[in-house]
Amino acid sequence: MSDALAFLALPALACMALVGIHAYFGLHVLKRNVIFVDLALAQVAALGATAAFLLGHSPQSVTAHAYAFAFTLVAAALLASSRSWSTRVPQEAQIGVVYVVAAAAALLLVDRAPQGAEHIRQILTGNILTVGWEELAWAIALYAVVGLAYPFVARRLKAGSWLSEFAFYGAFGVVVTSSVALAGVLLVFAFLIIPAAIGLLHASRFSGQLAIAWIAGSVTAVAGLALSYAGDFSTGATLVCTYGAALAIAGVAHGLRLPQARGAKLEVALRLGRWMTAALFAASGIWLMIAPQADQPVLDTLERAFPAIGAAYMDDKSRAIRADAESHARRYRDEAQKLRARETERRWKGEPLDEAEVRRIASFQKSYNEMIKGEEFVMAEVRKRARTDKRWWIAAVFLLFAISVVVSLPGRSRPRPAAARTPGGMAPPADQESRARR
Amino acid sequence: MGGDLVSASHIIPAGQDAESFQPRPQDLARIREARVVLRVGVDYDLWLDKLLRQAGNAAVQRGGGGYIDASTDVALLDVRAGGIGTADGHAHGRGNPHYWLDPANAEMITATLLEALARIDPQNAKRYEANRLAFLARLDAKMREWTEALRNAPPLIAYHDTWPYFARRFRLRFVGVIETRPGIAASPSHLARLARLGKQERVGAIVREPHEPKRDADFLASRTGARVVVLASTVGAVPEARDYLSLIDYNVRALK
Repeated sequence: MSDALAFLALPALACMALVGIHAYFGLHVLKRNVIFVDLALAQVAALGATAAFLLGHSPQSVTAHAYAFAFTLVAAALLASSRSWSTRVPQEAQIGVVYVVAAAAALLLVDRAPQGAEHIRQILTGNILTVGWEELAWAIALYAVVGLAYPFVARRLKAGSWLSEFAFYGAFGVVVTSSVALAGVLLVFAFLIIPAAIGLLHASRFSGQLAIAWIAGSVTAVAGLALSYAGDFSTGATLVCTYGAALAIAGVAHGLRLPQARGAKLEVALRLGRWMTAALFAASGIWLMIAPQADQPVLDTLERAFPAIGAAYMDDKSRAIRADAESHARRYRDEAQKLRARETERRWKGEPLDEAEVRRIASFQKSYNEMIKGEEFVMAEVRKRARTDKRWWIAAVFLLFAISVVVSLPGRSRPRPAAARTPGGMAPPADQESRARR
Repeated sequence: MGGDLVSASHIIPAGQDAESFQPRPQDLARIREARVVLRVGVDYDLWLDKLLRQAGNAAVQRGGGGYIDASTDVALLDVRAGGIGTADGHAHGRGNPHYWLDPANAEMITATLLEALARIDPQNAKRYEANRLAFLARLDAKMREWTEALRNAPPLIAYHDTWPYFARRFRLRFVGVIETRPGIAASPSHLARLARLGKQERVGAIVREPHEPKRDADFLASRTGARVVVLASTVGAVPEARDYLSLIDYNVRALK
């Protein structure tokens, strides 16, 4: 637990800071419909840093950062100028062009620089897990300055003017260049778009949208980090998927929140879910009847979750063959693992292995791996044959399950009439009837 | 080995990651004109197969007289036949491909090369052989120096599993790798395990190559108290690695 806290405290703080600034810009980005502008600006900054490196400046130097910043400002000016074309050419297309040209130009430059790819990679592939306190402090200071200065400046500029557009793209470019180096392109995109989208779904005023985006973004980040630690998953990818799940949950919650349709939406969602489950099982049953030897994703998933299902449709002989193959595969795996551990240990401990012994171990490892594949083939073949023999039964169970799911669906409930008062304060007839029954 | 009898050029620019290399049109022209193509093999340069087919030079196609796979007679480590597995380690089924980092393997590699050169240019076979023996003599002298220099090297952690051959030759202990699956960032629990192991085993250095992320190695170094050492796996990856001997020389000095 203390290990987890020690490893996740700084990334969690970094996520909060990133959500703080990106949710704000994300709301603007969504309203302007320039979704991929962060990727384009980050790529332009990488191009600037690569150019600086080619001219002999160290990638971490102030000059390299100045180049990255200058390139970003040029791109901001370009995007601000081309806003006026957006009635003819959508601005997303212009952003896409900026992105691909910057990426391709950077590749051409990298080709001329030894170890050049490394420097582009350092700019575009940050890792939130290994963020250092010093770089985070710099980023927080930068976000604070931009977060306070941009709204102040934007209020004083005429909305839609070139200067106002330039101020937006320039401020956003500075932020995104720093944050992509901190967290990587994928994660920054998630920080930018998803909390803002959740805010837009659940509030109508800007302040409400921002508050919801901050809260949802921060909670999701903590959940994603915890999941990444608990499941031993790569942090950036886990966070992006967690944000995707958060948006899905927010979407469902949004549907359920609509007061006039709360009951109806829930019912529609439930009916849809049950129909889809029934269709999935019916299709799997039919697929099993047609091609029992092919991949059966639903049956495979069920068998992985409940191994007893596999044993249930096999006869005693098949079960015995499968168990035997499983035990042999396990034994070969253990042997291969032992050999590998022995060879690895002897690299530094005890008498070194000579070439002949290394070759012998390699040939044994090859043989064991081939034998493991053979046993896996036997297991798969036994399962396929058992499925072929019992396909009608298994398919019948699937179809029965599908039918039972559909049949058990309640009838469509009719909306209750509104409790309208009749003239003279009399209750509606339905109420009268029920009272009369009582 | 070739001396002034051979004009050699390389397809992968110095310092670039061979496993993610993308060939260019001029590479096709080079292969078309080549009499010999020498490859690393062990699934390290799979992109070369397509390039060889496209170039259409029969002499350097697989099985041709000018096709040399330098890994042919090398004793491979970390063999996982059958392709890419789900276990940790390097993603090459046939074995770890960084075999040239064991200087003792140079004997096998140069023997394979000599055989091919003698076949293609039999008149100069004696000169190739003399050059090879001179190179091996220099290597032998250096080998004693390197072994002595790394005698008491502390345990290490690597970013990528590039160093098993180097480790085996110089009796180095790598207690773990940061990137267990190429291209996928380490999970927090894996990093926590490595940090614990690093402190427990008193790891002296975190090893990375110039093209590998600096921040991950720095992060682990700050958690373990180890220093970060940049090693080169190919000639040209760092300015000091000008040829094979200076490549190994640089790595030994960096770890000393």
